[in-house]
Amino acid sequence: MKITWQWLNEYIDLSDLTPQQVAKDLTNAGIPVEWMEQVSPEVQGVLVGYVTAIAKHPEADRLRVCTVDVGYDEQLQIVCGAQNVDAGQKVPVAVHGSMLPGGKIKKAKLRGVESNGMICSAGELGLDVKMLPKEQTQGIFVLPSGAPIGESIGAYLGLDDTVMELELTPNRSDCLSLYGVANEVAAIYGKKVKMPVVDTMQLQSNDQTQQKLFVELATPKCAYYCGQVVSGLALAPSPLWMQMRLLAVGMRPINNLVDITNYVMLEWGQPLHAFDYGVIEDQTIIVRQAFDDEAIITLDDQSRVVQPETIMITDRHKNLGLAGVMGGQNSEVTANTTSVVIESAIFDPIATRKTAKALNLRSEASSRFEKGIDPAVTEVALSRAAFLMIAYAHGQIASEVVRVVAKEGLMTPTSITVHVSHVARLLGFTIEQAEMLTLCARLGFAVKVMDDEKIEVSVPTRRPDITREADMIEEFARLVGYDKIPTTTMKGALTAGGLTKKQKIERNLRDYLIDLGLHEVWTYSLTKPDVMAPLGYAQDHPLRQFGTLLNPLSEDRIALRTHMLPSLLEVAMYNRNRNQESIRLFEFGTVFLPKSLPMVEQPGEQYRLTGLMSGTIAPTHPHHKERMVDFYDVAGLVQAVFVKLGFEPKEWIVTKSEEPFYHPHQCAKMTVEGNEIAHFGRINKQVVEKYDLADTYYFELDLERIIQIVKDRLRVKELPKHPSADRDLAFVVERDLPVSSLLALTSKEAGEHLESVTVFDVYTGEKVAHEQKSVALHFVFRAVDHTLSEREIQDAIDRIMSAVTTTFGATLRE
Amino acid sequence: MIERLQAIEKIAKEKLQASVTGAELEAWRVDFLGKKGELSSALRAMGSLPAEERPKIGQVVNTIRTTLEEAFESYKTKLETQWQKAKEESEKVDITLSPRLPFLGTMHPLQRVIRRIEDIFIGFGFTVERGPHVETDHFNFEMLNLPKDHPARDMQDTFYFHEEMLMRTHTSPMQARTMQQRAPHVPLRILVPGRVYRRDDDDATHSHEFTQIEGLVVDYGISMSDLKGVLLTFAKELFGEQQEIRLRPSFFPFTEPSAEMDVRCIYCGGEGCSTCKHTGWIEILGCGMVHPSVLTMNGYTDGDVTGFAFGMGVERIAMLLYGITDIRQFYTNDVRLLQQFIAVAR
Repeated sequence: MKITWQWLNEYIDLSDLTPQQVAKDLTNAGIPVEWMEQVSPEVQGVLVGYVTAIAKHPEADRLRVCTVDVGYDEQLQIVCGAQNVDAGQKVPVAVHGSMLPGGKIKKAKLRGVESNGMICSAGELGLDVKMLPKEQTQGIFVLPSGAPIGESIGAYLGLDDTVMELELTPNRSDCLSLYGVANEVAAIYGKKVKMPVVDTMQLQSNDQTQQKLFVELATPKCAYYCGQVVSGLALAPSPLWMQMRLLAVGMRPINNLVDITNYVMLEWGQPLHAFDYGVIEDQTIIVRQAFDDEAIITLDDQSRVVQPETIMITDRHKNLGLAGVMGGQNSEVTANTTSVVIESAIFDPIATRKTAKALNLRSEASSRFEKGIDPAVTEVALSRAAFLMIAYAHGQIASEVVRVVAKEGLMTPTSITVHVSHVARLLGFTIEQAEMLTLCARLGFAVKVMDDEKIEVSVPTRRPDITREADMIEEFARLVGYDKIPTTTMKGALTAGGLTKKQKIERNLRDYLIDLGLHEVWTYSLTKPDVMAPLGYAQDHPLRQFGTLLNPLSEDRIALRTHMLPSLLEVAMYNRNRNQESIRLFEFGTVFLPKSLPMVEQPGEQYRLTGLMSGTIAPTHPHHKERMVDFYDVAGLVQAVFVKLGFEPKEWIVTKSEEPFYHPHQCAKMTVEGNEIAHFGRINKQVVEKYDLADTYYFELDLERIIQIVKDRLRVKELPKHPSADRDLAFVVERDLPVSSLLALTSKEAGEHLESVTVFDVYTGEKVAHEQKSVALHFVFRAVDHTLSEREIQDAIDRIMSAVTTTFGATLRE
Repeated sequence: MIERLQAIEKIAKEKLQASVTGAELEAWRVDFLGKKGELSSALRAMGSLPAEERPKIGQVVNTIRTTLEEAFESYKTKLETQWQKAKEESEKVDITLSPRLPFLGTMHPLQRVIRRIEDIFIGFGFTVERGPHVETDHFNFEMLNLPKDHPARDMQDTFYFHEEMLMRTHTSPMQARTMQQRAPHVPLRILVPGRVYRRDDDDATHSHEFTQIEGLVVDYGISMSDLKGVLLTFAKELFGEQQEIRLRPSFFPFTEPSAEMDVRCIYCGGEGCSTCKHTGWIEILGCGMVHPSVLTMNGYTDGDVTGFAFGMGVERIAMLLYGITDIRQFYTNDVRLLQQFIAVAR
């Protein structure tokens, strides 16, 4: 909402204050002034001049030599190039030494003739020429004949006025008018608002031809309708001061009738519409709901099919307009119009909003209806507009004000009981009852003292945002000033606060991965389904069923991701393209698995820990050999995470993963107690090539499942008291045999004294047969309660030997 | 005899000084101090001397032996020191050469801010909650006093899947969910960090996905001065002990009274600069007393129970704290940016 300082001062005397101070105080009261600036600060020293004579320039056909009276002792000779300049005009004159947005004006000689200044166009004065009628922007800016000679043009046109843009919260629609802002300012400073008084007697005496107007409300969506006929009108430009004010707050001046309805809307917050009275048949306006598929040609010449919610303004035979949104072409005010019906009404906020939104016709008027109109001003605004039409459009009152109130209690103020103790309890400090009475008076709210503890406030209809005690408490608090609220410590029972087990695990894992040298990344949840295509899942796979938005903003963000990999690949590609030689990333992210499509119920949201590694395993250094990340790096990282989580290697089983985006022979999954909790491996070539990446490794942990099975307590094993016996055995086995099978079998057969078995060498090559490999294992045997005898150790080794020979056909490598 | 012994001592001392290597030193020791060495043979030769001379000569031999042993030890120590130095010299490294650094990982800047804020509020006795990103209209709007067609819904342009199903536009639905789950239990003190979604075109200051932290306290007798107290302590923890705050009246459908919280501009300290648009203050948080309708709708029907709530944008705070000027950079994950979040400093 834009207002101007001078305009506001017409309704409230702020001569003891500066715009800066008022802006600050409005901001602190909850009406932030987003910015303020002078209309045209660059215009200085430009005067209203009167062209007394013009003559041809002796040297140039297109130039005129004007004699201009600017109130100086002597008239000025000014050379002017504009074709519309003429004797008898009042014009803006930039005299020698004055300032325009284009710079300082100095005396000059134009083709040999002295020119003591410049006669200005609208554009040269810094006015927004796009907003002005064409005839005012071509050539010099001709002023009304009443303009006082010698007056500063800045003052005359209001170029020295200050515009303020208010950033209104949705509850403060009352400030969508000068009247509302004046009331707010009045409450802040304890001043009085003086709105222009419309002399109803004068209006009535003006009433000469008695026209009829009937209004029928056929829908409950119109709470209040006022109408009045004004006749004898002559369409013309509105007075310049009105045009300048409209222009300053961003509205385009059009003609006197339209400008008056707009001006009154800005003044009172009540949108008005003027229908050509001549086209209304039977002198009857009917307000009703739209029929199915009803159409209307609106005054912008568009044919529009309306919504069932739309409220129509009609007569008995035809549509006249879309209530609150736009008038119809057939009833538009034209140069031939002499009589209008001024409509001042309250239409349903939701219906207006839906219509305006559906037809993409949001306007200053419709947005005010959407936010609610003060019924107390509906008729005031109507009379004010009628008055201005008499004053500025030769109008005459031609009918009585017709008013139809459809909603019971529309004009009744809201009554709110405020308890002194409740104010203190909610704010944390006491506002005395006497002060509350003062504050109510400043707000212009009637109030009644019930007893020492209670007052009853009568909230006028202009403040529909105040409906309950808490709202009044806010009014008191903001007028007293939020800076007066003390700071206190919360009372009440102590709570330990802190993180849940899941949150703690997440924190630990995050810190651990960071310590392992990975960067945490954050990527968007919204993506496009196409990113899943290269991963190799079948079209009907659950991971390719997406929750898609009804109203996406861009094609790249239309669906919720079902997988983290594409997001991480994108980040990897981005960084690879910026010459990062090593990419090591992880993300805690949510994937969304719809339970139904379209998504009428909430999808399964799964929290995943995923990561990606590509490029060199360590930072480049002159003293060590560069190595690229491989499968065992990602496997080691994942297993380190599980060790960190308190799992022991013997608790998990590693088998091949079936995820289709992995290299078929370099991928694995980990299972604990039958739950698949992680998979990892090398991304296959088709996928990495799509992202222009070198060999890339990925891991994904199912955090939800991990959190369910992770151990709560750390237990320490007693340190051994007896020595261990260490034995190394190298087996020659089939090359394809997974080492894990060998480990599993030997651990199982070795008996109770086996403490650990680890692989220390895997060999393929000349010293073993082509289809075979040698796997060297290191066994550690130990008993808790005694030193093992040679016999016991040998028994264990014999069992191991016999098992691997029978099961895998292994032989001992000599 | 004595002359012979003195000659041995002299030669020994000369030879010792001539020894350079470990082997030469050992040979010297064998030659002069060993069982078959010169002194030992001199002692053995003493048997041929008259008995009265023996003690005297014995004493001389022992004196010489002690002298030579001491000379040996001292010379050996000297040599060993030299060898050690030579060895170290040969092991010289260029200490200015880049070290063999491990990879240093980093926490995402937004996570870093979340963790700091979580820790502050955990200190105040808050627990941390998370909620679903896909929300129902019911929890995202209606239970927060935003009925359908409420004009304030315009403040938050929403992504929809279905009339009733949407991407949450704020973390506030967790206020409603938590209240419904715990009512009428008090006190309730929760902090809800999480991602939210708005139908905004991405640019330097807007992101269709961003992060909020929501806080909620419900208890008997909670007042706006308690809210101010908590927020002031929070601001001091986050921005420094000198930090001041300012509350300004505002509007949120789910709080009444409502406020915006400003902090003194952390760049100019309140003098006025381009970051604070020359006001000296920066808005970082919206807050207020939980709206009575929100309390009753979500199960707190006892009129004596009040509460406060607040919500802040994590990106905005991170941009202020770290001087990042484009919100999109948080989601681009340029490693050159992430790498800078390595130090433990704030």
